[in-house]
Amino acid sequence: MPIDMSQFYQVFFDESAEHLATMETLLLELDVANPEAEQLNAIFRAVHSIKGSAGTFGFTDLAETTHILENLLDRIRKHELGLQPEMVDAFLESGDLLHSMLEAHQGRGSVDSEAVQAACARLRQLSDARPAGGGMTAPARRPVPVAAAAAANEVAPAVASSSGRRAFGIEFVPTEVSAHSDGIERLLVELRRQGELEVLNHPDAEDRGVGFWRLRLTTTAAPETFSEAIDFIAENGAWRVAEEAVVESTGDGGDFDFFGDVPGVPGENRGYGFFVALEPPPSNSAESGSADTDADDGPDVAPATEEDEVGYGFFAPLPPLVPPLGEVPAGAEAGEGCGFSVSLPSPPVKTPEHRATAAADSSIRVSVDKVDQLINLLGELVITQSMLQQTAVQMGEAVPECLLGGLGQLERNTHALQEVVMSIRMLPISFVFSRFPRVVRDLSAKLGKQVELKISGETTELDKSLVERIADPLTHLIRNSLDHGIEMPEARLAAGKNPIGTITLKASHQGGNVVIEVGDDGAGLPRDKITAKARERGLVVAESMSDQEVFSLIFEAGLSTAAQVTDVSGRGVGMDVVRRNIQELGGRVEIDSLLGVGTRITVRLPLTLAILDGMSVAVGDQTYILPLSHVVESLQPQPGDVRTLANQGRVIEARGEFLPVVVLHELFGLCSARDDLTQGIMVVVAAGGAKAALFVDALVGQHQVVIKSLEANYRRVPGISGATIMGDGRVALILDAPAIATMVRAKTQTTAGLLQ
Amino acid sequence: MEVRTQGKAAVADEDSVASEYLTFTLGSEEYAIDILKVQEIRGYEPPTRIAQAPPFIKGVINLRGIIVPVVDLRIKFDLGQAEYTPFTVVIILNVAGRVVGAVVDSVSDVIFLNRAQIRPAPDFSGSFDTQYIIGLASQDGRMMIVTDIERLMSGADMELIDDATASNQEQGSSRC
Repeated sequence: MPIDMSQFYQVFFDESAEHLATMETLLLELDVANPEAEQLNAIFRAVHSIKGSAGTFGFTDLAETTHILENLLDRIRKHELGLQPEMVDAFLESGDLLHSMLEAHQGRGSVDSEAVQAACARLRQLSDARPAGGGMTAPARRPVPVAAAAAANEVAPAVASSSGRRAFGIEFVPTEVSAHSDGIERLLVELRRQGELEVLNHPDAEDRGVGFWRLRLTTTAAPETFSEAIDFIAENGAWRVAEEAVVESTGDGGDFDFFGDVPGVPGENRGYGFFVALEPPPSNSAESGSADTDADDGPDVAPATEEDEVGYGFFAPLPPLVPPLGEVPAGAEAGEGCGFSVSLPSPPVKTPEHRATAAADSSIRVSVDKVDQLINLLGELVITQSMLQQTAVQMGEAVPECLLGGLGQLERNTHALQEVVMSIRMLPISFVFSRFPRVVRDLSAKLGKQVELKISGETTELDKSLVERIADPLTHLIRNSLDHGIEMPEARLAAGKNPIGTITLKASHQGGNVVIEVGDDGAGLPRDKITAKARERGLVVAESMSDQEVFSLIFEAGLSTAAQVTDVSGRGVGMDVVRRNIQELGGRVEIDSLLGVGTRITVRLPLTLAILDGMSVAVGDQTYILPLSHVVESLQPQPGDVRTLANQGRVIEARGEFLPVVVLHELFGLCSARDDLTQGIMVVVAAGGAKAALFVDALVGQHQVVIKSLEANYRRVPGISGATIMGDGRVALILDAPAIATMVRAKTQTTAGLLQ
Repeated sequence: MEVRTQGKAAVADEDSVASEYLTFTLGSEEYAIDILKVQEIRGYEPPTRIAQAPPFIKGVINLRGIIVPVVDLRIKFDLGQAEYTPFTVVIILNVAGRVVGAVVDSVSDVIFLNRAQIRPAPDFSGSFDTQYIIGLASQDGRMMIVTDIERLMSGADMELIDDATASNQEQGSSRC
């Protein structure tokens, strides 16, 4: 089936970037001499994930590079090769290349194919190298990348001295992590390998290397070769490589005067960030304004023909880390003397490239912990707000008008805030659905079945935590449908059906629920087989059970009707896990089936796990919260409406239906003044396919409540799904309407005895 | 002042290491519990009742946003009169990673007891299972029952924790 994969590209980019970041962090943490197996595995997994999804999405260049990387990693983690510092360097370098490939696929920047080739060659070489133990002494950074980088940078003619040696002033502030490990040491070693290195300034010993470093490197290598290494060590963006005009430059002052003093010298096309925080700018350097680029983008810097006229902001008032302005086409800016705009740096010129970056930056990845914290705090705010509201109501006439107005506004704002905050956690369900075409494709090929997957409603949004946790149960249901539901093509033809089976996956909102349906047009569930199997397993089965009840037996552990056990399903484990997982999420599973026509499994999930719309009801001296999503209507019973069944259960007729009556104060063992059922209110609830009328003393109001766990400090209580804190600071219990409704359905005869 | 933390440090003179105990009364009996398990002491406020809970579980209260169950130890051990006056106190305990409130008649004081002062309790049958008793201690002519409050509160017969009441739980879920 044709699927437009491009809709998932962004997810792939995000995920891959995340994997790359993980890999980088892990590599940097890695103790080269004595690597931890778990860390190596984690790196391997990260690379492997990128490779896998890159292959799926058809980014062959990424897949190829990661493949080589993966091979080497695999050998290392299997101890076929010892880990060498060179390897870590190579990994990091390839990580960067992968990153630039990702960027390139997103339409930002370009990939230096030569550098990729070089890196791949190097990885292969490392991978083919002698087995563990053979001490490697060869320099890590071969000239290959140098050549590649130089080639990339067409406008970088060799400068200065005849030998091609150039002097670079290097300044950086290392991250704490790298400073505390041997990152700096390694950097220094690496730089020494490139040429002559002088350490002009380093932090005090007691800072353990965290602080301002200044080095001077005289080398023939292009700055790109070592700037990456510095970038790894340095605090985000807090580094700079500036070419010095003359080798014997004194270091102080000279660094910044370069452009001013030697105008027109070719080679300053590589502009470098002007990091005011690192060093106060010399007062005379205003006119020299350095061209501003993040050195990451070194190779991409625009042609330098007029660059020396371009003065960029003298960013004195900016915060320490000047954000990179990115590449600016030199032509556009030529002659604009921005150099003197001392206080207001001109905003970066918007180019299409910038817009691409802006689009990517318009979404941020935030730790879920922070969002959860936000939601918790919001919960407290909602409680406080309703507390104030209640106080105002109690004051009655005495409340000043303006206070009421303010409170009303507070309520609206809280609501709006709540919606926005909750929506942060919402993700479209396509995050889960997107994996199923693949599952169906692979599995149907394996089983020799022809199956078409129809997906609808994939834009339905639900809580992120639910999205993550619903994936496994759904996968299971789909595999099940494929394996047991859909028949072989011949059987389908024989049954007069289309040989191509259909599995439908549908998501939608229903009230406060998300409903996900997994349907197939397969053989349907054989009722007699299930009952037979259930008896075999010693389950209580009555002939009078409804189809739904029979079918829900397949969720019992160990019950499988599959004639043979395949490696796909049929072992009888799984459906019970599916049901348990879904119940843990506060959801329900229902199953409908028609023999020979198909099966439909419906999963109902709450939208979110944190806040619910509730109706508060009074029962005796207690207040309970009834989830509004389950409330159908409420009615005042007239005498004679309530009838008894066999003098035990009570039913009420509402809109042509007889509903079992649950008298809540009897159920919960409370004293209530309203023994007469006509004195109170019947609240009709519908849940899990069952309906019931709950008898309560009175309706109190409607609230949004923050669900608090009762189990955190207590235990589960049947009929209660949680607790919340009311406006007056008291605790109210939230009724588990589905549980209550199914309880009465199961045992209508002894309503009061249900919980004993 | 010496406070024994998870005291492995000084095994030799462990007997002389004193730790602090909070003492409270239930009826005419005086109990002592490790003060490190006590989070705070607050006045009694009527809790929200929980359906089908045993009578000694009074319900749950809101402790600054946390739902905390409250147990009336007087009812549990059938000691004294379970009356609720403005002076009735709830000891908020931090046991087994949970927060639990315990209603007692009154909180007396905080005392120091060292190991040597805590004598083993004789075996006796009663509502109070001796496995929760560390020993008996006397000070100033008073006898105190030194109680392992953590064990008591997380015990199965307190019905506070799901694991401990797994059998109840089974029944509960099978009805759903």
